[in-house]
Amino acid sequence: MKKYAPKPRAREYVTLLLILIEVAIMGSINKNIFSNINISQVISNAAELSIVCIGMNIVIMLGGIDLSVGAIMGLSALAAGHMLQISGNSFLVIGIAVAVGALLGSINGFLIVKLKIPDMVATLATMNIYRAAIFGLLGGQWLTGLIPKYGRITTGKVFGVPVIIFLVILFYICFYWVTNYTSFGRKIAAVGTSSKSAALCGINPDFIKMCSYLLIGALAGVSGSLYIARMGAVEMQVGVRLHTDCIAAVVVGGMGMGGVGGKSTLLGTLAGVFFISFLRNGIVILGIPSLLEYFVTGLLIILSLCADVIVFKQKAHINKKKAAAIR
Amino acid sequence: MKKDGIIKLLTNRTVLLLLLLAASLIVINFLAPGFVSVTNLLGVTQFGAVILLLGIGQSIVMVSGGGGIDLSIGTIASLSGILFGILCVQTGMNPLFAAMLVIAFGMLLGFFNGFLVSVLNLPAFIATLSTSYMYSSLSLYITGGVPISGFEKSFAWLGQKTTFLIPNQVLFVAAPILIITLYAVNHTKYGRHIYLTGSNANAAIFAGIDVKKIRCINYILDGFLASVASIVMCSWLMTARADAGSGYDLQTIAVAVLGGIDINGGAGKLSGVIIAVLITTIISTGIQYANLNGIWQLAVLGIILILSVSMNQVLIYHSKKVSKQKQKEIINNI
Repeated sequence: MKKYAPKPRAREYVTLLLILIEVAIMGSINKNIFSNINISQVISNAAELSIVCIGMNIVIMLGGIDLSVGAIMGLSALAAGHMLQISGNSFLVIGIAVAVGALLGSINGFLIVKLKIPDMVATLATMNIYRAAIFGLLGGQWLTGLIPKYGRITTGKVFGVPVIIFLVILFYICFYWVTNYTSFGRKIAAVGTSSKSAALCGINPDFIKMCSYLLIGALAGVSGSLYIARMGAVEMQVGVRLHTDCIAAVVVGGMGMGGVGGKSTLLGTLAGVFFISFLRNGIVILGIPSLLEYFVTGLLIILSLCADVIVFKQKAHINKKKAAAIR
Repeated sequence: MKKDGIIKLLTNRTVLLLLLLAASLIVINFLAPGFVSVTNLLGVTQFGAVILLLGIGQSIVMVSGGGGIDLSIGTIASLSGILFGILCVQTGMNPLFAAMLVIAFGMLLGFFNGFLVSVLNLPAFIATLSTSYMYSSLSLYITGGVPISGFEKSFAWLGQKTTFLIPNQVLFVAAPILIITLYAVNHTKYGRHIYLTGSNANAAIFAGIDVKKIRCINYILDGFLASVASIVMCSWLMTARADAGSGYDLQTIAVAVLGGIDINGGAGKLSGVIIAVLITTIISTGIQYANLNGIWQLAVLGIILILSVSMNQVLIYHSKKVSKQKQKEIINNI
């Protein structure tokens, strides 16, 4: 018997198409978008966002949300930075970042699963607590002079292609496999579709939820270690708006009704990440005031949700008609 | 049996909150001697007026259920405050007339949220999160990040003067609005409809209630309260700032949840929210007295939020247990 594995939906390819349209429109106004330096810059800047977005995809697939990713990324970058000042061992530095991220993520998971706090409220609260912790640890100063040995990953190039893109693609392939082909991934989808029916099928929803929040924390930790390699410093405002970008990327990528969950749309999410990164790049290059950047991001989330709702309604309508015809 | 009695007393939200209020007053009095006096406490209420207005708005939205939440409440206040500043300072409009325009504008912003959430059925928190980014980025763009100042001096009457030791903004804005909403929520048909919509939307539809309309109206009310709060803020600081409302999203949610509003809708009283506003106001002004950075205020609020929600869950669990036991006893007696 052939095993079932979900394939990317048509909606996810639409996002890929949208990137092409977007880049073509912006490129027709200003040719600098197509320059090799610009494109590789966009890709390497998008690395952190794209890695955190994997976690966000999984959490939204569960029907949850995590608003504290930016603060988790900041705290793990901070931990990695302090570790770097003690020892230059790359494994230790990345390890501590991932460990701190996983710990903070599992605190979120504990609050959501054990104390049954709604995920949005819990992560909104922890976001502010973690932010205050960043402030307390930094004391208003910057942590600078961080040059990790693995920094070449973020800056290096092979035949003009940034190395980091291979790392991102590797992560996406791994997690595509995890969410679509392993039992853990399918359990996430099951819990996201209906937590109660999943529990009746013998899945432990609490365990799955806990693991997912731990996972998004760990992924935020990974991107924290990439952040210090790229920036060489940790400042107060690190990752302040990461969660909006994540939600925007996942929603633009076709997660759809948001909060309903049950779908893995990693391909769409990756496309969404690059859609947003090119949009931001285009806003800068075309000389649109950067203060309007988040206006555009917000509008984008709403528009893509609306489009999905309309398509969803039409589909439901067509299905009803079909059902009526059969009768 | 004695333990049951204590739990019963604690399940009474008002008693619990009053105890918390007393505890926070005692702690603050140790940290900052001289803080607890009638004059000072009446003065402190001026910090609470804005949170009270916004907290009521947030609570009404939450009570009507359907995952209702408004993360854009603070940014509505920022944006309408900036409009007020522009109208008053740059075009020299009469503050009263400008206030009416601004309130209409705030209701429009609220209606946009309500339209997205109730008519288009978008998930409330994603919709309002994105509108909050739209509003805040708009207000930053309009001002270029520079605060608007130069209001007429007489305008300070609302936010900085007192009548009978009570700050004007509390006496003339917050208190009347509070009384009207308390009456509307507890004694009118509309108020009952909100609670029914929140506790069971399907039942409400069968009872002939237009659920979409109720939820949309709640978001409009929310925008109304936010714009009123923004005018109070402008008069209080005598400037209109693009980031005036930042942080209020968390504060209002914390206040509503601490006050006993069920985040899933349908339960909770506004009287609890009022005491919760007092508690958070006293704690945050206490933090300011102790000369700590504002970011700690948000962290403390975050911790309060987590504690209060988990306390809610524990208390609900216990009260269910107690009522089940009672049912069993009654059945056994029969």
